[in-house]
Amino acid sequence: MSALLEAKEVTKIYARAQHPSLNKVSFSVAKSEFIAIMGASGSGKTTLLNVLSTIDTPTSGSITIDGVNIKNLSDSGAADFRRDKLGFIFQEYLLLDSLTIFENIAVPLTLQKLPPKKIENMVRSLAEAFGIDPQLNKYPNELSGGQRQRASALRAIVKRPSILFADEPTGALDSSSATDLLNTLKESNESLNTTILMVTHDAYAASFADRILIFKDGCIIRELFRQNDDRRTFYESIAREVAKLDTER
Amino acid sequence: MHNLSMALKNLKNNFSFYALYLLSVSFVITIFFAFTSFSMNAVMLEKISNDGRVETMCNTISVFLMAFVVFYMSYSNRFFLRRRTKELGIYVLLGYRKSTILSLLITENLLICSGAFMAGILLGGFFHKGIVFGITKLLDLAVNHSEIPFFNPNAVMKTACFISAVVIVLALSNGRFLFRTSLMDLVRYEKSAEKRMKFHAVPSVIGFLAVISGYCLALDILRGAESLWLTIGFYPVGMLTSALILSGTVLFIASFLPFAVQAGKKNKRKFYTETKIITAPGFIYRIHSNSRTLIMLTLLSAATLTVSSVMALSLYYPIAAVSRMAPSEIECRIENESEITAFKQIINEYSPGDDVTFLQTDIYKVTSTAGQLPVEYSIGTSKRDSDNEKILRDAGFECIPFSNYTALLEAQGRTKALEQLATLNNNECILIKYQPDSDNDETGNVYPLLIGNHEIPVTVTAVTLDNPISFANSVGTLIVSDDLYHMITEQAVPAAKVLSINGKSIEDNEALFQALSEYLSGSPYLQGNSHRVHEIFSLSSSTFLLIGFLVVLFFIATGSILYFNNVSAITDSKSDYDILWKMGYTDRKIKKIIQKQTAAFFIIPFLFGLADCIFATLVYKSALMQNILKNSLVLYTPTMAAIMLTFIIYLAYYCMTVHTCCKAVLTK
Repeated sequence: MSALLEAKEVTKIYARAQHPSLNKVSFSVAKSEFIAIMGASGSGKTTLLNVLSTIDTPTSGSITIDGVNIKNLSDSGAADFRRDKLGFIFQEYLLLDSLTIFENIAVPLTLQKLPPKKIENMVRSLAEAFGIDPQLNKYPNELSGGQRQRASALRAIVKRPSILFADEPTGALDSSSATDLLNTLKESNESLNTTILMVTHDAYAASFADRILIFKDGCIIRELFRQNDDRRTFYESIAREVAKLDTER
Repeated sequence: MHNLSMALKNLKNNFSFYALYLLSVSFVITIFFAFTSFSMNAVMLEKISNDGRVETMCNTISVFLMAFVVFYMSYSNRFFLRRRTKELGIYVLLGYRKSTILSLLITENLLICSGAFMAGILLGGFFHKGIVFGITKLLDLAVNHSEIPFFNPNAVMKTACFISAVVIVLALSNGRFLFRTSLMDLVRYEKSAEKRMKFHAVPSVIGFLAVISGYCLALDILRGAESLWLTIGFYPVGMLTSALILSGTVLFIASFLPFAVQAGKKNKRKFYTETKIITAPGFIYRIHSNSRTLIMLTLLSAATLTVSSVMALSLYYPIAAVSRMAPSEIECRIENESEITAFKQIINEYSPGDDVTFLQTDIYKVTSTAGQLPVEYSIGTSKRDSDNEKILRDAGFECIPFSNYTALLEAQGRTKALEQLATLNNNECILIKYQPDSDNDETGNVYPLLIGNHEIPVTVTAVTLDNPISFANSVGTLIVSDDLYHMITEQAVPAAKVLSINGKSIEDNEALFQALSEYLSGSPYLQGNSHRVHEIFSLSSSTFLLIGFLVVLFFIATGSILYFNNVSAITDSKSDYDILWKMGYTDRKIKKIIQKQTAAFFIIPFLFGLADCIFATLVYKSALMQNILKNSLVLYTPTMAAIMLTFIIYLAYYCMTVHTCCKAVLTK
């Protein structure tokens, strides 16, 4: 499979920090891959996500997404890049309270200047496919946390981004809502071929991915592959790995 | 940590946050202190107020001013308290008692208000001195400035007592808020989401119709005698119009605007754009919780604009009308020729220029047998329509010759009126109108003039507002040909002999006018152009100055509340802009969204205020002001200037607000 994202020797050192948050991290992500990034707090997971998604800039190293070296992008170039290529899901849902769910999902499409009819069709068909069409005319504060996060996920995937970044998307959800969301992401990955890079500290959430990158002190210390395992088996191997990691602290 | 040191640390670390509060309170105290100093300035009051009118106005305005200071400071205090609720919640979470937090708030407020008080007293002192200097220059008053203290101790005391009282009220209000809000609500106060807005068509339509009906009713005054204002009465129609506009404004803002924006969302082509999809729902969302503030601001804005516009018109109109009330620089009646010599001597003494012209006009009163005569014919003949009840005139046309008319216009420098004149035949005349009257045009009317035992008919070839003689000396003036005038002189004795004195060198010479007035023992027939202007300024300046205080205060209140409201709303939604940025909105696009969101909240009060001001000014001008000038757009120059000034002030506040919002939101 061809690499969609290529990170080479990516380093991030914050001012006044004693150690680099990212220390020469290199890895690649293939098209349609679902990757989970795991690690303890402060291991560099979110920093990596911010750097990969143009929200932050690396101190050194190079990052290429869909053939574009994002380090060379200007402010407006980075904005256009986020608009056209990237999707985001955050732990706090971050839906716009003043917009209905329909409007929230439509925002990325208006930014791409798509015709109104196409926007409506895309939002409605996606909402129907993922079962949130009854909530389309509601406002975020009228929905449960799980419904909001699913709406947030649809907002991210509706524009068919090259890559979807999810930062602890199940962090604020109960187990049932978390499973719903993860199924949504998996479905999107399988049926829409969405490439997903998900940061999580939860082994259960990570078990939905194809590959796991485990971080420690700004470096990838281990890589786990699902291969032909079912989700449950994969979950057990991740849980074992995490437990091992905890004893090594 | 001790409360005082904690408060000082807070103020020091968040200086930019508190600077705005400090600045706005200082501003209000500056105005309050300047006004109080002025109202306690015995030297000035003695010069500009003879009948206690200014003192009464000062007392009235002082009540408004105090109410405003309380309202404004409460609003600012509430705004800053709201911004700090989370911080206060954390204090409570850490184990601080609410009483300790309240005393911290009181200490901070005391420190800020003390700073603002000192700045306000200093700036207010300068402001007061500036006002005194301006008035003395404008009215040419002889004032010993050393007698006016920079800091009037009584004014300082009054201001200090008042501000202390306000601080106590704020402390009580903060205490009430703090003790009535639970810990959970304190921590989550900023995040409390709005309830879903419901859209009702009926109140929306009623609001829209009420506003339109109110404005139509105001416009009805232009129908003149047939208007409802005159047929039903000014007071009931005025009350109805105000009630319609007031209730309409409330419903328009609270129901119609969100309803219309919601309906506008159906226009998919316009709605699905990168800014509209954010701004339209955002507007509905914000107006839901801010409609009361917006209504209050709209009414405040309408009051500010209307007061400033009416005030400007009230000053400008009488000055513009001086050209009709006193067309010559000096004009008086003479009894005998020797008086002219005496006048010349006085003028020579006070203003020895060689450009002075003396023109004597003998006015002959002629009656007419026409069935329908112009209103000017009998104006001032009964007590009802005379300004001065002691002087009543006999009905009739007051005839002057054409040659004299042109000579007077030339001496008065009215070349434009001269250019439009055509020579008169013996059966023709020009009628000088008192008021412009579009309903009755006398041009073409024939008036048989009774000269001796003969009736000589004359046709009105033109009506004009260019009266060469003041209305104090001639009303119902008829310009006739020199030959006809000669014929009249042979049959009658002059009703009055008027001397018109003109010349650049005698303009703006109040001493000369007083000397002539003394010579004529205060004759009501003595009129002076510059004197009249000076008199209007002396009589009106104190009123305008005092109302000016209120207008400035209104501006500060409206602008600052809009500033606080918008900054608060935008910064509270900082996370929303962060999402947009991550979605791919550039800083420029986000700035555009902020500009549009802020503009909506500035435009509504301004446009409503503007409409209310235009209609109110129209009603005021048509119904309450005596109209002796031609209806021309030039008359509305001061209104336009007032609107322009308001626009500039709003624009300045708008730019400041957008700048602050962008700085708060776009700082990564």
